Amino acid sequence: MAELDWGRTYLMCPPEHFGVLYEINPWMDAEVAVDPDRAREQWEGLRSTLEAAGATVEVVRQTPEVPDMVFTANGGIVNVAADGGPRFVPSHFWHPERQGETEQFATWFAERGWAVDRLDHELRHEGAGDALPFGGVLLSGYRFRSDRAAATQLAELTGAPVRSIELVDERLYHVDITFCPLSDRHALAAPMGWDAYGRRVVEALVPEPLWLTDDEALSFCANSVVVGTTVVMPTTPVRVGRQLEAWGFDVVTCDVGEFLKAGGGCRCLTLALDVPLGPGPRAPSPT
Amino acid sequence: MAVTETYELAGHIVDSLLLAKVLDQVLEAGADYRLDQIDIGRTPTDTSRVVIEITADDEVHLDRLAEQLQVHGVNPLAPGDAVTQEATLDGVLPAGFHSTTNLATEVRLDGRWVPVENPEMDCGLVVVEPPEPGGAPVVRTLPMHRVRAGDRIVVGVHGVRVVAPRPTATDASFGFMDSDVSSEKPKGLQLASLADRLRLARERGERTLVVCGPAVIHTGGGPEVARLVRGGWVDVLFAGNGFATHDLESNVMGTSLGVSVTSGAGTEGGHSNHLRVINEVRRHGSIAAAVEAGYVTGGVMYELTRAGVPFVLGGSIRDDGPLPDTMADVVAAADRMRELTAGVGVALMLATTLHAIATGNVLPGAVDTWCIDINQAVVTKLADRGSHQARGIVTDVGPFLRHLADALGA
Repeated sequence: MAELDWGRTYLMCPPEHFGVLYEINPWMDAEVAVDPDRAREQWEGLRSTLEAAGATVEVVRQTPEVPDMVFTANGGIVNVAADGGPRFVPSHFWHPERQGETEQFATWFAERGWAVDRLDHELRHEGAGDALPFGGVLLSGYRFRSDRAAATQLAELTGAPVRSIELVDERLYHVDITFCPLSDRHALAAPMGWDAYGRRVVEALVPEPLWLTDDEALSFCANSVVVGTTVVMPTTPVRVGRQLEAWGFDVVTCDVGEFLKAGGGCRCLTLALDVPLGPGPRAPSPT
Repeated sequence: MAVTETYELAGHIVDSLLLAKVLDQVLEAGADYRLDQIDIGRTPTDTSRVVIEITADDEVHLDRLAEQLQVHGVNPLAPGDAVTQEATLDGVLPAGFHSTTNLATEVRLDGRWVPVENPEMDCGLVVVEPPEPGGAPVVRTLPMHRVRAGDRIVVGVHGVRVVAPRPTATDASFGFMDSDVSSEKPKGLQLASLADRLRLARERGERTLVVCGPAVIHTGGGPEVARLVRGGWVDVLFAGNGFATHDLESNVMGTSLGVSVTSGAGTEGGHSNHLRVINEVRRHGSIAAAVEAGYVTGGVMYELTRAGVPFVLGGSIRDDGPLPDTMADVVAAADRMRELTAGVGVALMLATTLHAIATGNVLPGAVDTWCIDINQAVVTKLADRGSHQARGIVTDVGPFLRHLADALGA
């Protein structure tokens, strides 16, 4: 097993204006109040956990009209392997409530010298929330938040082969709640989130998946961040923790309960800034 | 009616099993597909692209399926409008004109599919401006000789589609004849099936076209066709100079090509009988006038004239006389046949090769066409010339017609 070749630098957004102000996924309930102080504490906790594991964290600031911008994973697609320097494709959000985030993310990257590529106006795709790299391909979810056709354009813009899989359970509305790359051979995988074709695609792609039960999947444990051999998880089902440790990972559970109220865990709160995409499948290391 | 639309699916659709999923869903929905164009990427990085033609039972089913498939990135391939070009010469189509089949065809104009009014093979397609402003344009088939300078003619294949023929519920009862034409078929069953179809045509108000060769008279089928005309089972009849001549000869002289139709024996000087009959009809000026004058008192032509059933006698170089009603100008004859095929639902081709093929050329493919001939090659010939809808009954036409007229109670 070899460590992932990405996941050492993250973009995060401090929860200065975070709250459950609308309902755009089954987890959100506008009646449930978010405790801003606890949210801030949990966010700082996640940040320091990642830094302790060896990651660097950069910060983007949110404005009051985009409370969900704390979920930076949905901001876009990062590609540092592109010819001519790093490139960024800002997301086109499904719900009008989040569409204001697109230009804020685009501006942040452009100001730092990244080339910004755009999806066609009518195509929707929610960035790393619906596209995770594994084995040299981008595993992209579609149906609830992203258009399947957007994956074709992402492939053109990034040069990465895309495997599109259909999400079938609205509670697992992004692919990053159903899948988590752990190493070049391992990944957490929640089959309940995919149709039969999607399951076959993942089976063919991942040499050693850890198949999550439905309960494990619904605990958001796949929405984790991996820094080298450290797995930072919002919840850690016992069986999953044991298996990860058996594979040689250090498991850290990081309470992000205030953010789970909005349907987001550790992965959703981070956008990896060091993802190299394309140009094709890489062979996993031998066992 | 079955509808077909073309769609596109692109991306990394093979490894994602998307193509498999989409095709599975098409079949699960009871629709059918044809992969029109398949470009599979060579490396995992290359994207693939397929063009899929999907056929569903009707517009509603196709729309519903298309909506499901759109989720997977399957989008209608905007086919674009048909290209038209003005004809510059009378009687000459623009080079590259769209050459038609006899199947139901649609032409895309201003983003809408317009059905062709009168499908006919081997024609051009002319776009006629809407009769009133804002109305839909009309598209018709146009035989070459009828083109006039300035006509808007469809060129190329873009924006033209053929609506695939689909078996309909009413066809099911005739389905047992769908195999190749063969002499080894139960004639009684075939006959009952044809009789049913003719009754259905009458019920639906479809017209029945009968095309006759001279063998109908030679084999003693003349009186049976006359019975069918009298019974109102024939709405239009196509034949040649020979059929009409021998029908008249058999009624005036009792012979067909000099052979007695009752005894089968040759008659003294019989070889000239038909010429004498033609000569007398020419003296009267027309078949109708000969009937009026009491020179002809029975037979197919007599019944047609009495019942006012329209007929076309198409001429040829071989014709004796010809009869005054025979149209020596074959282009004019074909045009007259075109006019008379409107509303025809069933066509019977009785013991004739050349007139069957000529008629097949002007008939829409949707017309139920039955070819009754003792030679099974006739049906094959008809199908080979584009009239794929033709079904064959291989039998002697004379006795067959008697049974058919009996079955219909004519």
